[in-house]
Amino acid sequence: MKLATATMIVTIASACLTTGAFASPEKGLEIAIEADSRDKGFGDSTAQMTMILMDKYGQSTERAIRNRTFEGDNEGDKSLVIFDSPGDVRGTAFLSHTKKADSDDQWLYLPALKRVKRIASSNKAGPFMGSEFSYEDIASQEVEKYTYNYLRDEQLNGLDCFVVEYDPVDPKSGYKRQIVWMDKAEYRVHKIDFYDRKDALLKTLTYEDYNQYLDKYWRYNRLVMINHQTGKTTELVFADWKLQTGMTERDFEKSALKRIR
Amino acid sequence: MTMFAVRSFVIILLLAQPAFAGEVNGTLSSRLDFYPDRDDGSASEGRSAEVKIDAFHDFDASRIVGEFIARGDEKDSGRRITEARQAYLRTPLAGFDVFVGNRQEFWGKAESKNVVDVINQSDAAANEGKSGKLGAPSISAERYLDIGDLQLWYISGFREKTFNDSDAHPSSGLPVSSAQYARKDGKDADDFAARLSSFAGEWDLAGSVFYGTARDPILSVASDGGALKPYYALQKSIGLEAQYTGDVTLLKWESLHGTQTGLLGTHDFAAAVAGIEYTYYGPFETMWDIGLIGEVQHDDRPQAAANQFFVAGVRLVFNDIADSHVLFLASADRKADQSFVSLEASRRINDVTSVKLTSRFYNARTPSSAFGQLLDDDAVTLTLNMFF
Repeated sequence: MKLATATMIVTIASACLTTGAFASPEKGLEIAIEADSRDKGFGDSTAQMTMILMDKYGQSTERAIRNRTFEGDNEGDKSLVIFDSPGDVRGTAFLSHTKKADSDDQWLYLPALKRVKRIASSNKAGPFMGSEFSYEDIASQEVEKYTYNYLRDEQLNGLDCFVVEYDPVDPKSGYKRQIVWMDKAEYRVHKIDFYDRKDALLKTLTYEDYNQYLDKYWRYNRLVMINHQTGKTTELVFADWKLQTGMTERDFEKSALKRIR
Repeated sequence: MTMFAVRSFVIILLLAQPAFAGEVNGTLSSRLDFYPDRDDGSASEGRSAEVKIDAFHDFDASRIVGEFIARGDEKDSGRRITEARQAYLRTPLAGFDVFVGNRQEFWGKAESKNVVDVINQSDAAANEGKSGKLGAPSISAERYLDIGDLQLWYISGFREKTFNDSDAHPSSGLPVSSAQYARKDGKDADDFAARLSSFAGEWDLAGSVFYGTARDPILSVASDGGALKPYYALQKSIGLEAQYTGDVTLLKWESLHGTQTGLLGTHDFAAAVAGIEYTYYGPFETMWDIGLIGEVQHDDRPQAAANQFFVAGVRLVFNDIADSHVLFLASADRKADQSFVSLEASRRINDVTSVKLTSRFYNARTPSSAFGQLLDDDAVTLTLNMFF
């Protein structure tokens, strides 16, 4: 009888796991690894971005930014953000060497001084260019930067999704947790709810208008970040995605910062 | 190659490129200076305007870069200038990026003073701080090596430091006469420099060497007392730079050691800046960053205002849509005989306009000291920048 009960419990438990009724850190990590591996091999990418900042009264202001990313092998990705407008920051560039475990290395290029300045990367929670995106939101996502917990399956916009909790490893993160909706077919992120350090819902980010490149890699054309606590919104509209453009690691060294425009 | 030849070469290249593949941007700055005079309570004003054109053009693997400035000033002829701050060709050659023409370069790590920043002459009369530089007519080469970034410089001619008029601000009150040089070729003598910079983990390091004419002149009063005579010494120096970037703390070091040869023979010198910058991110539940800056300057060259200065400052970054910044710096020499306070605040008005307010105040117990001669040169400056 005891054995029968135990068998039943195991059967129920495994049934629950496969239908996703139980939280599972292992499955969460598996999903994150699979999502990461599906994007492996993109090499490098470039895109034009328009950042639209909107206050709670609907007043908006725009910025033009260029984004370049170089895929890392053993370390994290390297990324470069170049500002084209507004005029006072034109030519300013931000270089980040993402690290899987350590703090990222970051430099800023100030065109008026022709100065390359190393900056502290601990300001993860700080706003990027006065927007609702923080530095950690725009940094490249590495598997090692979070612990995971698969929560449930759920439909979102007609797509079957995994719902996974991402818990930042770094205590300097501005978030206690993130709830991520990722579709089961392609492992693309569609929505993230960000909870602040007090575990109150802070922001929601939605990913829209995905296109596939080189028959493999998915890139979004629109990101919308809503700050529930301030009522402010920042929208990032992407254009002209290019992958495997042939950039080299040298294009992402700090010495290259002086050379880009 | 002479300075003239370097310039002509770049101008020919600029003219020889018919199809344009690049960018042209401009900045129009208008500036109002207000000088309160503490002696008699009167005040004076100064108005000036500056146009800056930035452009580049790409062809094959090369790029032509131009940064041209024209500045007009109502009264101060010392501030008036037309300058090719940058006008160079960059092209790959034998594994190097080679630059030919006028170029602006920055070396250094510290905030209050950069003693290793030796490539460009200062456009001191512009009163624009570190960004006020004159283009260095040069041939330079850069290469990315496994151990770091290597730069080699040949500077084909000397640019004299700019000075404000004797009745303008800041000024000692004496006109500046023509310069004298330790080197027999004077203004035509060539300079050489090299730098290797690298980083490992939290450390950014650089070392450099310089042989050439010292950028800062030694100023002495002419025998008739009617003018200041600039004398440019020969300088041989080694520069060292280091920055440790911690989570919230930056530690900075830069030093320049070497010799200057002048009227009184050859003398060893040392100049250094050691600093710390500590930043509070998002204090008091705000989006602000508050940076606390502390630096110690040492400079035993005769050009320095004092051997030692202690600098304390606060940097406020509001992280708002208008990108508002405030920087406050106060410096004093060891005996507090001379001190200097500056405040700089800037914000964006809209996509094409920004505004900056700067002010500087000098104090000195001894009228004959360097700052003692600048007591009537306190200034509050409002600059409006328009970008097109």
